Amino acid sequence: MGTGADVRDILELTGGENDGPISKKDLINSDKKKSKKTTETLTFKRPEGMHREVYALLYSDKKDAPPLLPSDTTQGYRTVKAKLGCKKVRPWKWMPFTNPARRDGAIFHHWRRVAEEGKDYPFARFNKTVQVPVYSEQEYQVHLHDDGWTKAETDHLFDLCKRFDLRFIVVHDRYDYQQYRKRSVEDLKERYYSICGKLTKVRAASGTEPKIYIFDAGHERRRKEQLEKLFNRTPEQVAEEEYLIQELRKIETRKKEREKKAQDLQKLIKAADTTTELRRAEKRVSKKKLPQKRETEKPAVPETAGIKFPDFKSAGVTLRSQRMKLPSSVGQKKNKAIEQILMEQGVDLNPMPTEEIVQMFNELRSDLVLLYELKQAHSNCEYEQQMLRHRYEALLKAGSGGGCGGITGAGLAAATQGGELNSTNSTLASTPGGDAQSWPSTDDIKVEAKEQIIDVVGAPLTPNSRKRRESASSSSSVKKVKKP
Amino acid sequence: MGTFKVGALVFDIGSYSVRAGYAGEDCPKADFPTVIGVTLDREDGSTPMETDGDKGKQSGTTYYIDTNQLRVPRENMEVMSPLKNGMKLMFEHYNIPAFFLCKSAVLSAFANGRSTGLVLDSGATHTTAIPVHDGYVLQQGIVKSPLAGDFMSMQCRELFQELSVEIIPPYMIASKDSVREGSPASWKKKEKLPQVTRSWHNYMCNCVIQDFQASVLQVSDSPYDEQVAAQMPTVHYELPNGYNCDFGAERLKIPEGLFDPSNAKGLSGNTMLGVGHVVTTSVGMCDIDIRPGLYGSVVVTGGNTLIQGFTDRLNRELSQKTPPSMRLKLIANNTTVERRFSAWIGGSILASLGTFQQMWISKQEYEEGGKQCVDRKCP
Repeated sequence: MGTGADVRDILELTGGENDGPISKKDLINSDKKKSKKTTETLTFKRPEGMHREVYALLYSDKKDAPPLLPSDTTQGYRTVKAKLGCKKVRPWKWMPFTNPARRDGAIFHHWRRVAEEGKDYPFARFNKTVQVPVYSEQEYQVHLHDDGWTKAETDHLFDLCKRFDLRFIVVHDRYDYQQYRKRSVEDLKERYYSICGKLTKVRAASGTEPKIYIFDAGHERRRKEQLEKLFNRTPEQVAEEEYLIQELRKIETRKKEREKKAQDLQKLIKAADTTTELRRAEKRVSKKKLPQKRETEKPAVPETAGIKFPDFKSAGVTLRSQRMKLPSSVGQKKNKAIEQILMEQGVDLNPMPTEEIVQMFNELRSDLVLLYELKQAHSNCEYEQQMLRHRYEALLKAGSGGGCGGITGAGLAAATQGGELNSTNSTLASTPGGDAQSWPSTDDIKVEAKEQIIDVVGAPLTPNSRKRRESASSSSSVKKVKKP
Repeated sequence: MGTFKVGALVFDIGSYSVRAGYAGEDCPKADFPTVIGVTLDREDGSTPMETDGDKGKQSGTTYYIDTNQLRVPRENMEVMSPLKNGMKLMFEHYNIPAFFLCKSAVLSAFANGRSTGLVLDSGATHTTAIPVHDGYVLQQGIVKSPLAGDFMSMQCRELFQELSVEIIPPYMIASKDSVREGSPASWKKKEKLPQVTRSWHNYMCNCVIQDFQASVLQVSDSPYDEQVAAQMPTVHYELPNGYNCDFGAERLKIPEGLFDPSNAKGLSGNTMLGVGHVVTTSVGMCDIDIRPGLYGSVVVTGGNTLIQGFTDRLNRELSQKTPPSMRLKLIANNTTVERRFSAWIGGSILASLGTFQQMWISKQEYEEGGKQCVDRKCP
């Protein structure tokens, strides 16, 4: 093996002090280096019992501090081995002991450490009993007398309560039926708690208000009856109840849908009216008053009618044509409709964006959308009216009694509603004031019509539909009572 | 810390076997059949059998039991027994310091870690459903049915009679030859057999039948159906005399009588309740508030329940009969030891509790109170 010195020798390099045999210096130097290293670096001694690899994970570099607070790992980490045979043997003795929980003071024997001689039996403290009140003869005669209960029976009840620590179900089970009458659990509880209550009241010091536990026996009896019925339901009944609940849900969702549609319609019509109103206001009033009125009336316009063009509040320079751009919330159909109408009327699809033109153009398109929506709503109502009319005629022919009156009413109401829309749509020159007042009344009719429509559409058209509705509502009340 | 238990013995006397042992252990040391042999005074020393195990009857004759493994100094040991008889005998004859009685249903429940539940015990003579609430038995809800192990043994016996197969207990057989399946057995009788009494012979035959019952019978998952039963795999069984056969549909038909007594033969009328009905009737007689608690821990014990498929079928039947919102849980230990000895194990657990020491009936109390103290102190 060639050492460094040999290589230098071969290459005839002068290495300086490397000639000569190894002297103490090298060794001493190396020692110094080593000692320097040890003092410089922080060594964390690997705790006993920890494997080398695990230690390497925790303390990877000598320079790294351990991630956690350094603690004494010798105690906790390794599994503590039992050090047997270290100390002197502790002898055991067969000792007699008494159990303070026993009343007869019987003496038993068991093995125990000699050191623990004389101490109390540690399990005696688990002997807890329930405090059952004890009444005297006098107290009974004066306060606790009851027609339904003899003294003997009451005594028997209290004796059982004491034996079984107020487990009323067991008390009821062990109650002596041959000697006394048959009592239900509620009867027993009622008697017990009433006596307890009276005794606390009587025995309480004058002036203090003791807290008495009131037991509502009637409620308990009803609750148990309810539970019995629930428990004894046949699977058919359960299935029927589920079916009814589903139907109820369907009816409710349909109702919600219709209400929503009605509201949308309402908004639409309002929007239409207010825009017409605005137009009138614009034409009537002079230009100076315009900005004021517009501000006051603008909030009345609902945002769903027409298109809302976003206002650019950005600082800096923007192009006016941006304001003309249709927002993305406008759907494809409406877009197409707008384009169609514009083309029909011969209006340029993208006019030059001067200030006035931009405003007018936006308004125009908003109105077009409004018109389109109104047209759609109108056609929907017409369709519904047709459908109901057909149904009405069909039922008239069938001639069932119960549903007829409701349907006729619905049919008529729908017809009137459709008529209303017709009037508002065709003539934009209607008086806004009159319409605003008549809105509530038509709303009511509309709501009623909706309800009747719902009843007709949702439930099957049989005489039993009313019965089903009633049973559905009663089953939901059953569920509510079951909760406590 | 020391052991605070007092040395105690636990006895569980059943109609098929007696289990006895020390408290604190996990299985009884002695488990022997509940039959007592009384020797009649005959020259040949044969031992006829009395088939009821009541010790208190005749105190004159000596009794033999099959195995006697307990050698216990009777002075200082307390005795705990799951049955009500024999307490007087214990105190006066054996001079024990303390005694306690407990219903085996409660102990079975304790052995499974529950203080409330419905204990279904299907043993040799009876199938009983006992509701236990908070460690106390609700006596009004106990429902008993005689359809159990003995009933099945009877049915097996009838089956063999139908097949015209003779039951020969092993003690009679000197040698046997292997025969083909289904053909009559060929065996040689032992010579010089002592003259045995009828009852003992019957007892031995019963042992053979019980072995057949335990190994071959199975309860089907759904109510018995001829076609389904025909498709079940057959089990081969060989009797001690060499007769061997494959049993197919009969395996399922016989235990069906437990669950559906209307089909079973040899029953007087249709007044018997199947196992599923027994359970539901018992729960039905209890207060409605505790019913979910009872259904939530149905403890299945007893040797008869070890028949293959018993617990599955029971589970199925109960889930059909209870309302769908009821949480049903069947607790059935899988090991034979635990199921047969669950009452004993419960007694062992109870006797080794520290807090149990105050419940013993000591000799003093018995002397003072007499038998009434048992009614008072024991649940």
